Amino acid sequence: MNTKELTIGFVGNPNCGKTTLFNAYTGANLKVANWPGVTVEKKEGAMRLHDETYRLVDLPGTYSLTSYTMEEMVTRQYILSDDVDVIVDVADASALERNLYLTLQLMELGKPVVLALNMMDIVQERGMEIDLHRLPEMLGIPCVPVSARKKTGLEILIHTVAHHQDKAQGEKIIHHHDLEKSQHEGVEEHHKRYAMVYSDEIEDKIDEIGERLLKKYPEETNENLRWYAIKILENDQEIKERFSLDFSDILDKDYEKEIINQKFGFIEEVIAECVANRTKKVESTDRTDRILTHPVLGLPIFLLIMACVFFLTFTVGDWLKGYFEVALEWVTETTTQGLFAMGVGEMLISLITDGILAGVGGILTFLPNIFILFLALAFLEDSGYMARVAYVMDGIMGRIGLSGRAFLPMLLGFGCTVPAVMASRVLENRRDRMKTILITPFMSCSARLPIYVLFSELFFGDKAMIAAFSMYVLGLVLAILAAFVLRILDKSEEGDMLLIELPEYKTPNAHTIRIYVWEKVKDYLSKAGTTIFVASIVMWLIMNLGLHGFTTDMNQSFGAIIGKVLVPVFAPIGLGYWQIVLALISGIAAKEVVVSSCSVLFGIGNVTTQAGMANLSELLGQMGFGPLNAYALMVFCLLYVPCMAAVATIKKETESWRLTGIMAVFQLVIAWIMAFLIFQIGSLMR
Amino acid sequence: MTLYEGEKGSTLLVLRMALPVQTERRLEVLGMLEGTRIVVVNRKKRGAMIVKIRGTRFAMGQSITRHIEVKEV
Repeated sequence: MNTKELTIGFVGNPNCGKTTLFNAYTGANLKVANWPGVTVEKKEGAMRLHDETYRLVDLPGTYSLTSYTMEEMVTRQYILSDDVDVIVDVADASALERNLYLTLQLMELGKPVVLALNMMDIVQERGMEIDLHRLPEMLGIPCVPVSARKKTGLEILIHTVAHHQDKAQGEKIIHHHDLEKSQHEGVEEHHKRYAMVYSDEIEDKIDEIGERLLKKYPEETNENLRWYAIKILENDQEIKERFSLDFSDILDKDYEKEIINQKFGFIEEVIAECVANRTKKVESTDRTDRILTHPVLGLPIFLLIMACVFFLTFTVGDWLKGYFEVALEWVTETTTQGLFAMGVGEMLISLITDGILAGVGGILTFLPNIFILFLALAFLEDSGYMARVAYVMDGIMGRIGLSGRAFLPMLLGFGCTVPAVMASRVLENRRDRMKTILITPFMSCSARLPIYVLFSELFFGDKAMIAAFSMYVLGLVLAILAAFVLRILDKSEEGDMLLIELPEYKTPNAHTIRIYVWEKVKDYLSKAGTTIFVASIVMWLIMNLGLHGFTTDMNQSFGAIIGKVLVPVFAPIGLGYWQIVLALISGIAAKEVVVSSCSVLFGIGNVTTQAGMANLSELLGQMGFGPLNAYALMVFCLLYVPCMAAVATIKKETESWRLTGIMAVFQLVIAWIMAFLIFQIGSLMR
Repeated sequence: MTLYEGEKGSTLLVLRMALPVQTERRLEVLGMLEGTRIVVVNRKKRGAMIVKIRGTRFAMGQSITRHIEVKEV
């Protein structure tokens, strides 16, 4: 039995269904890891087949293997490392022409490549036909038809990989080139070994560069000499820097363009021979796009879709939340009674029920809202609509000096600021990235949702949903305003250019959505179990410890002392209550903590239930905290410094403490000013 | 004419691109080369458009389309 596990690297264009395929193999059984040094996520999973274990690595989607973007470079370096045994090139068979470009590049790397022709079900649906005998003949690599969505061909693909692991290239490559015309030395040998053979001029140059490399660096270049030579001819900076050789006499002009051209020339040849009935496509995507990307209707439709998402989040989410609350109440009661019966000390009971259960449990009851929100986002993404938003929003974004593409990170910001800030990487222009990172935290993330739900339900009755929804609108408006002001301040014209693939619409895949949502729910649960757990305990401690040790009078606690110092700062914005101040400070750990802290601070174990809310409402009412204060609080929470995780991500992405600091201060100031305006104007109108 | 002026539904032949090298390369690896036929699928009155290159749709901003010279076929 073979004990060495085989590592398979999954590479492919964006939107080729690579992740769906990967998920079909590994299920939810995967781990997400960050690349060392660079923050591009790679996913890893394992599977077993016929008593053998395979390690599967999912790499970020890419169109090519140049060294222009970070993603491409990381993918390339990883594939070239000894870690990967076989490359599975996942191609969207319904758009084979474009996908084959990456295939040709991968084949040049010299590692075993297996082409997985994904979405074969769509190919058949459209009446297209792919010649599966001719295609591998022309490319010299195995081509396996699969459908990740229908889960067909999966076992055959892995089987092929297992049998192909030692073969760099196939034995026979038969394709038409004008062999007679070629004067290049050994041209026939070339055509047998490589699928992609260039013109004489380029092949001569490749040989020349290869000879020089082999002379000076025989060990390093031995295995993929041809690849290195091609890269140098393409003037690839990263590869050129690796060898201290001067090729300027060979590189007398820009060969990269010519190489790309010839690759596509060959691809056209392949497509002409291997794909039949290409034009018979049923263009359902075009029909859908006629409505969804309509020049006038596109924008209102997008806003309507977002409104639906939030409507579902609130109504369905709240309905489910009711059951969670009942469960939490029961757990709290049973625990208290159980602990009491066991004769546990009063202090420990207080810590467990008022501290941990109130804090962590309170947050858990919001799980249904979070679940629905991410379910809706997953649906939008998997259906192919998300990319359209970039097109629809391009006009508006253009006015604030950003491309429509910058709207995608902002949209993700409705889910969580951390991946949203990371997603700003799609923008190549650094200035645009910084701008997007600055305004993304204004997009109200799901962690802020519990705050809105709690306070709007406490104070706004029937209009709770409107009050909460207004936060999202306010955040969006402020983000756009901030970007607009930045544009006025910064006169330079060059901005990021909108260029994004619009995938075919498809019925969202249940499996993909399940995995996506489960990952988010898991994040939320682990946050409740770690950050919020610790924050709840810390909160309980500073509320129950004072200058004279353990105290039951919160007014004497450390928390009260800290809060009271800051009260004057928060008084003008309607939040001059030390409990609220403390809750806001704790919210920097994670925004949900504002809610859990309120439960701990006001000593209400079941803050999200009807009884708990009535109780909290009464307590706040006695303090003179009314609807206007609540609204100011919601606005402040929307805008002030994002959670620690988000700040850390911003630091990582901007690579500057100074910028991160400026952003935090900026957000704090904006939050204070907005809350001030709302509270003061509101007070005057009363 | 430039691609920006292309009408919805028209098929155009790319003649020349005058863009920063990096943007040009990105377009090239997507299969948009001099001599490639592209179709304008959808467009806004002013601003971005959706084009089809080798069977795949792309949204492109005017900062790109204004710098691509095409001719109708």
